[in-house]
Amino acid sequence: MIEPSGRSVRGLHHDVYVGFVMIVFCAVAFYVTTTFDSVPAMLSQNIPATFFPRLVLATITLLSVILIVSGLKRSAESLGSVPGSVFTTAAVITLAVFLVKPLGTLLTVGLLALTLTWLWGERQWSRIASLAIGLPAAIYLVFAIGLQVRFPRGVVMSLIGAGG
Amino acid sequence: MPGLEVALQVITDPYILGLIFVGTIGGVLVGALPGLSSSMATALLLPFSLYLEPIPAIALLASLYCAGTFGGSITAILINAPGAPPAAATAFDGYPLAQRGEAGRALGMAAVSSVAGGTFSVLVLLVAAPLLAQVAYSFGPAEYFALAVFGLSMLSSISGKGAVKNLIGGCLGLLIATIGVDLTTGVERFTFGLPQLYEGIHFIPVLIGLFAITELLSQAAKLRQHVEAIGVSALKLPSWADFRRVKYTVMRSCGIGTFIGILPAEGSTMAAMIGYNESKRWSKNPEEFGEGSIEGIAGPEAANNAATGGSLVPTLALGIPGSATAAVILGGLQVQGLRPGPYLFEQQPALLYGIFFSMLLANFLFLGFGLVGAKVFSRITQVPRALLWPTVFTLCFVGAYGLEQSMTDVYVMLAAGLVGFVLKRYGFAPAPIIMGLVLGELTENSLAQAMIIFDQQWTGFLGRPIAMTFFGLALLSVFVAPIRQLLSRRARATQA
Repeated sequence: MIEPSGRSVRGLHHDVYVGFVMIVFCAVAFYVTTTFDSVPAMLSQNIPATFFPRLVLATITLLSVILIVSGLKRSAESLGSVPGSVFTTAAVITLAVFLVKPLGTLLTVGLLALTLTWLWGERQWSRIASLAIGLPAAIYLVFAIGLQVRFPRGVVMSLIGAGG
Repeated sequence: MPGLEVALQVITDPYILGLIFVGTIGGVLVGALPGLSSSMATALLLPFSLYLEPIPAIALLASLYCAGTFGGSITAILINAPGAPPAAATAFDGYPLAQRGEAGRALGMAAVSSVAGGTFSVLVLLVAAPLLAQVAYSFGPAEYFALAVFGLSMLSSISGKGAVKNLIGGCLGLLIATIGVDLTTGVERFTFGLPQLYEGIHFIPVLIGLFAITELLSQAAKLRQHVEAIGVSALKLPSWADFRRVKYTVMRSCGIGTFIGILPAEGSTMAAMIGYNESKRWSKNPEEFGEGSIEGIAGPEAANNAATGGSLVPTLALGIPGSATAAVILGGLQVQGLRPGPYLFEQQPALLYGIFFSMLLANFLFLGFGLVGAKVFSRITQVPRALLWPTVFTLCFVGAYGLEQSMTDVYVMLAAGLVGFVLKRYGFAPAPIIMGLVLGELTENSLAQAMIIFDQQWTGFLGRPIAMTFFGLALLSVFVAPIRQLLSRRARATQA
């Protein structure tokens, strides 16, 4: 069920959690800076490679503390649940990106157009088919031919000897 | 005027005129489509503009920026859904006017006011940018660092759900900019041994991810929403009575919008809101605001378009973006190998005039499109989202990939989009992250150089009055709003 956004709920304000997550992120990133190679002070002119990232991390930590403190003064509110369509869309586009190498760009774009339009509620097959064919065709003509962009052909397209 | 002649030759080239025409139509279209903003459109167009020479590329982006800011008003008036955030204030009075059957009058006023604001700000850009650039000749690393800090501090007052989150967003952008091999020491930072990250994270994929993919996912959350469109029966120019009524409103908003635009990081959205509030404050009929006041359209529309030219003043003169879209254009200049600042005007005088003429032309072109084609543009809102957004995603993919023809950039774009969506849900706007990313190199390099000059003593900044002024302004911009809130809370408590 979608909760109305901004509704008061029990617990702490989400800014408190966000602040803590930021601090944990900064701690991890700070640890990563300790793994940077060190170079002689002469070479770095006494400004080591860790200097600026650590300064930024310290600033984010300070701001996160302010966020937590201000969040503690506020009552909790619900952000509402994320609709399932967001997750499916995110999954489809992620899958599409990782399918480009095996399937090739044009086939992937066609499949993506087919899947996403259907998932987003389009039920007229003429429209879906037009986009699924027209979009890869336009990409091929404008970018592959016109602008000479060399898109990944993909294993499948290479096997069948098609362009892509 | 050096460069003026060259710029005139360039800008009268049919090829560039064609690009400006395309940029203007594209801008009005994307501006009209809810969810597609001029920031996002320029981000999407940026990789393709790299195939062009600098002046045509920037002319295309600048015309898209101007027209996109106006385009948002079409849907704000017709369906009460601003096509872009700067048009949000226009909907307050534009939609009630449309409901009364006066959509044409409202659109006409929006177009005319936008042109007035845009033209005024472009003239200011032409005069102010070179003057500001002259001042920047006296800047050293300390001043540039302080200026970057001031620019970042201004993030505390831009759109988004909180000043602190905007500042954190800016810092996250700075942190992303540190990824890759440090040019001074040759040390790898946050690369995790991945050779693809040695050169750092490219700006464009992050930009596309944060603006476009994040918006795609936001749109996926609104699939059940249905909007009622109001038809435009006839479009007409505002009457002379309307012009007489709004002339001071437009003049005031031109000044407000340009000034807000010049302030680093502030953009059209804030300009429009202030323009609207001031129009109401100075109006003889404030009670009409919210019910369909013609001044309520003229004020924000003149202001948001005035901010476009204004925002390019610090962008071109100092390399500090005046708005999110200006940050994209700044990124475009950098990718083209141009370094904004005083030397840009010395080495590329034609570029400034090129931008000036293209924005001026775009303003008059969208006046024509706005008046003649509003009926057609209003139909763009009827393009099914299910067809529009897969197309946008494909353009995102091509844009991110086309830059270096590398899948790594596509993965970066996807990651930026997914993370951007989560951040947006918790109140972090994408614009501050982009600002931080764009300013990252300037901030780090100028700080490092200043610290070397000051022999690693922070107190060295105390002897630099310009730098200290910027630090003072930065403190003001961060603390003025909380102090004002505290004072008003106390005043309320005292009254109670």
